[in-house]
Amino acid sequence: MHCNCGNTKLLIAAAGAVAASAFILLKFCRKKKLTFNDDSNVVYLVQLPRGKRVPSISPFPLKLETYLRVAKIPYENVFSSQFSTKGKTPWIHHRGTDLGDSQFCIEYLNKQFNVDINAHLTKEQRGVARAFLKMVEENLYWVLACARWVFGSPSRAGFPSSMNSLVLYFIQRKVKQYAYAQGMARHSAKEVFHIGKLDYQALSDFLGDKKFLFGDKPCETDCGVFGMLAQVVFNQPDSPHYEVIKKEFPNLERFCWSMREAYWPDWDQVLEKA
Amino acid sequence: MGLRGSKPTFDDSSNVVYFIQIPLRGLRVPNLSPFPLKLETYLRMAKIPHESIMISTLSSKGKTPWIRHRGKDVADSQFCIEYLNKQFGVNLNEHLTKEQQAVSRAILKMVEENLYWVLVCYRWFFMNPKDMGLSQNIPSLIFAFIRRRVRKYANGQGMGRHSQEEIFHIGKLDLQALSNYLGEKKFLFGDQPSETDCSVFGMLAQFVFSNIESPHCALIKKEFPNLERYCHTMRNTFWPDWDQVLKGDASSTKL
Repeated sequence: MHCNCGNTKLLIAAAGAVAASAFILLKFCRKKKLTFNDDSNVVYLVQLPRGKRVPSISPFPLKLETYLRVAKIPYENVFSSQFSTKGKTPWIHHRGTDLGDSQFCIEYLNKQFNVDINAHLTKEQRGVARAFLKMVEENLYWVLACARWVFGSPSRAGFPSSMNSLVLYFIQRKVKQYAYAQGMARHSAKEVFHIGKLDYQALSDFLGDKKFLFGDKPCETDCGVFGMLAQVVFNQPDSPHYEVIKKEFPNLERFCWSMREAYWPDWDQVLEKA
Repeated sequence: MGLRGSKPTFDDSSNVVYFIQIPLRGLRVPNLSPFPLKLETYLRMAKIPHESIMISTLSSKGKTPWIRHRGKDVADSQFCIEYLNKQFGVNLNEHLTKEQQAVSRAILKMVEENLYWVLVCYRWFFMNPKDMGLSQNIPSLIFAFIRRRVRKYANGQGMGRHSQEEIFHIGKLDLQALSNYLGEKKFLFGDQPSETDCSVFGMLAQFVFSNIESPHCALIKKEFPNLERYCHTMRNTFWPDWDQVLKGDASSTKL
């Protein structure tokens, strides 16, 4: 009779691997109930844990936190992998209200705190600001998502320690699916890089010698652009994206440093220690 | 859309650009998809000789439109424009300053990567299917099948995760930005049109001329009338045969 010992051992090993994977995943995704003080006026910013080279390895939490600092709105970070009702990060909790999507958060906070960091822009400039925000968040974002997750194996360098390889594997699967749905992943790696380069060129040409996009004072779009470019400039020093910025669009790197120095003087202190 | 169509035959020795677009000739727009309308407007603006072929064969990237020129297939409307600019020595952005070219790129992307999804979500999730603007209604089963696919894509892209009111609000902000930037100007950057005008027209025409029942059309009429004026300017300038185009093919809309 044929001995099934080999198959049994294999089955046990597979079951063990599945159980271990589930445990590791659950550990990351565990929905610990977050508690907030709804009597205070503090804004709770719920985001992923700190990166080792950037305060957030996702551009949207970095955008939103930068906005909070520019607008001088008192806030408290809650580092959690719990996502918003829309299944995304970051989100905020304020006086009993949960709100997802960084831009909706900004609109809400502008009303609640009577803030408008776009106040110094003309009507035409507001139009341009909106266009650049959308270019960066709906186009360049997908260029970088594809560069990191679709073409080649993503590196854990700079990521929070809590995001282990298994978590990265699941993120990669999702991002590939989303990037195909959005359209960017239908292009080749070379085409995607070309698309990104055109966006960098537009940003660089518009910024010129100015300190921020529209002069000496930053606006909402500066927060969005910084959140995105910081991923390349500070978190991916080995990528061809950083290389092209350094070589052809150095004012974009200079812009990142201006934003970082002005609004993140504690940058090094907040990062997860390598 | 996963459509399979027959591959047409081309004369690869001629310099003519074969412009292949999905057969979605609307009752009120030459194509219900903004990207074929963008590319055809560009071909007219750049005065590039072209032959339009309406078949359901999608590009190598699974999208519409695409072109064939001297034996080469090119997919994606923007890659097509870059290719054609080189082949025919065309530069519709020549008169723009460096800063204007930058703004042009930003507006292009806002319209094609954000406002586009507002349009898609409206048409497939919120609109009455009878308002699609085709000469024949899409059968309910097919509509439901396509909507499932669109839902998956819109959720992946992100827009599909918002509520109807939120999506409308996002669209309003884009329309406001376009209106603010256009102001009193004839085209986006003055009296001479440029590449991005083709795309903005391709997109706005969907709301202004086709989905006339939509809250977006009502909003444009009420709060951003310069966008409607702009659409008419583009149509009168580059599509003097608009009505003939619609009449000529209106009876042969096929999926």
